[in-house]
Amino acid sequence: MKKFGTMIEFKEYIKKLNERLKKYIPASLLPSEEALYKPLNIFDVPKKEADEYKYKAIKYAFKHHYENNSFYRKFCKENDVRPDDIKSIDDFVKIPLIPDKFYKTYPAGKEFAMWLATIYTGELPNIVIRKNDSYDDIIKKFNDAGLVISYSSGTSGRHTFIPRDKRTFYNSEYGIAKSVVTMIYPFWEYDINGYLLMPNPFKTNVFAGKVCSVYFDVIKNVEVAIDREITADIIQAAMQDNLKGKIVRYAMQRENRKMINRIVKWLKEQHKQKNKIAMVGAPFILYFVMEELKKSGETFDFGENGAVATGGGWKIYEDKRMPVEEFRKMVEEVLGIPPEYCLDLYGMVEGNGWMVHCPEGHYLHVPTTYYHAMVIDENGEPVAYGEKGRFAFLDGLALSYPGFIISGDEVRMLEECPCCHRNTPVLEPEVKRAKGDEMRGCAEEMRRVLSMDMSR
Amino acid sequence: MFREWKDKEYIPPKTMVKLFTKGTFALSKVIIKNLNKLKKNRMEKVEYIPPKRKYKLPSYNPNMKYIKSDEKYLRPTLYCNPYAKEIIALANHLGAFEKEPYEYARDVFEFVKRNIILQILPLDGVVATLRRGYGTCLHKISLFIALCRVAGLKARYKLYALTMIQQWYETFVQPDPLMQEWYNAMGYFMLHGEGEVLIDGKWIVADVGPTPERQASAGIPITKFGEDSIGIWFQAIPGSIMRVESLPLGLGMASKILMEKIAPSSVKKINNSILKQYEKGKKILEEIGEEEYDKKVRKGYKMPKIELERKSIIFE
Repeated sequence: MKKFGTMIEFKEYIKKLNERLKKYIPASLLPSEEALYKPLNIFDVPKKEADEYKYKAIKYAFKHHYENNSFYRKFCKENDVRPDDIKSIDDFVKIPLIPDKFYKTYPAGKEFAMWLATIYTGELPNIVIRKNDSYDDIIKKFNDAGLVISYSSGTSGRHTFIPRDKRTFYNSEYGIAKSVVTMIYPFWEYDINGYLLMPNPFKTNVFAGKVCSVYFDVIKNVEVAIDREITADIIQAAMQDNLKGKIVRYAMQRENRKMINRIVKWLKEQHKQKNKIAMVGAPFILYFVMEELKKSGETFDFGENGAVATGGGWKIYEDKRMPVEEFRKMVEEVLGIPPEYCLDLYGMVEGNGWMVHCPEGHYLHVPTTYYHAMVIDENGEPVAYGEKGRFAFLDGLALSYPGFIISGDEVRMLEECPCCHRNTPVLEPEVKRAKGDEMRGCAEEMRRVLSMDMSR
Repeated sequence: MFREWKDKEYIPPKTMVKLFTKGTFALSKVIIKNLNKLKKNRMEKVEYIPPKRKYKLPSYNPNMKYIKSDEKYLRPTLYCNPYAKEIIALANHLGAFEKEPYEYARDVFEFVKRNIILQILPLDGVVATLRRGYGTCLHKISLFIALCRVAGLKARYKLYALTMIQQWYETFVQPDPLMQEWYNAMGYFMLHGEGEVLIDGKWIVADVGPTPERQASAGIPITKFGEDSIGIWFQAIPGSIMRVESLPLGLGMASKILMEKIAPSSVKKINNSILKQYEKGKKILEEIGEEEYDKKVRKGYKMPKIELERKSIIFE
């Protein structure tokens, strides 16, 4: 295969990535940051070394939040846990976990600003809030003051707000880029063309869109599928069945056709010019593009000159979820991109850990140096490898809010990957929502906002 | 009369006026925007069978003991008449004047919490609630307070606006688009409450609103006498907590207009959803047993409590 003949050494490959992402790497590293920036291959650190990184990273983060976040300190005291109690990785089970729903319990009005300030770890700069400021106004004011408040929305229209500081956000961006680039080795190079199948990161505070701003530093030429401003109000309106919602959805629908046509046109040009391409974002958008191509009987053969990285969930229509494997087959048939270059990511607004499919078996590999993943039962107790339960994690990179979270996702974690030899535990390829938790996922959120179903 | 109203706190406090003004404004906006839907809502036929009363009413005997007082927190207030025969009979049946005050108040709490099923309907008095066997959280609190007052225990309302946990949102708000829109427009639920009873100089909270079945269905602990639901079910909107002797004037009329005239079908839908949640929880408790369920769920994960801080935010 061509890739073996001209393959760049992995060390050189990551060095090049780090050069591109210089601005994201802090001048002096905290223990949790060392665990992200120092390892060469984030998915293949020997267990002993990974555990050393992880212990320092999580212990540092826990102590930091205990000392600088009053609500979390109180929560720890209620649970009778203090930083001194964490003496080894085995003690991580003692760290109190916050249900992800907690980050949805925000009040309205000016109290929303106080709520953000309270869940934020550490001091804030002065922020002036007016009486009638909307959610978007308040977020803008926090962000203008140097923070990165981003959110995700459930189908209830109620958002999950997470207050990141610039440092945490940069860490998260670097983390997602390093995770994908590592897993897709040796595909990545700067001088290629990309299409972001998400909202423009510079015009939204939706986390899944915003975190993709790193894409513009990783790849030279990037086009964006959704270039209009997507605000919290628009998302909330689009989720509702009222007049405003209908107008928003109608306007979105009109744009959708144009968006699909633009992507099809771009693909044709890239193929004609034999350019190397990388498409990143919500799978349902690419699905509709491929449907359009199928209708007109067009296919491409990008081969190893193309890659697809998806994330955010697999609902294609209101009543239809697409199996990931089927999607990969479709990508191969229509775009000619092999399954090894069609990878899915799993992450969430509350965390900064990015689980990425391995090309060999498409299992989701969990980073092990700064992030401690667990699967817990309904009593909050960890279950054994191979058993189903709720995904929970301790996130060493979250420095501006306590990132010790129980998610609403149901997963099964295996101690090692059945298909490759990378040194990490894995999650089974598809993650589903736990019973009783609302449908969520950034792709699902965008699918609803764009009303893609309506074109059916 | 005005002085008496003021003294008994029939005149809503400033916080409540603010909450209601905001709520009414948001509701008016929803109504104006959804006139057609509302018309349909009024015409819509929604099957709804109210739940049956779960208990027998004890019989009244004129010799039954009770405390009659004009003292604050002991006297009758709006929708809360402690001297009704039915209330006196039930209080005596539950052990008033025989049990220790704490023990009696706890048994009253258990009776109201477990037996009165939550359903949405306009406000009315405690006797109607007792006869019917269902009502809103405000009906339930009034009944708890009446049963305490008749036994000589001072009792009051603790009312607040709240943001709710997802399961509660799913049962209460999600079944109806208008309710959803109203809730989302405000960002919180306008009024909820708990009772408080004074025993040995300490006000003890009584969260009589949710039955164990509803709590089991939502996967949360079964709250006990003295245990607050703030932080388990709800987050109270800061500054919205009011402790009052009486429910305010106007609330009954407003609830009647809203529930009977504006959106009767919405109310039925929500009530059906609550009954479904109740049945689901009943099954859970039958399968696992209440004690075991509660032990298990308390072992699981908890929601942190949050007290809002201003830090360096400046409000203009």
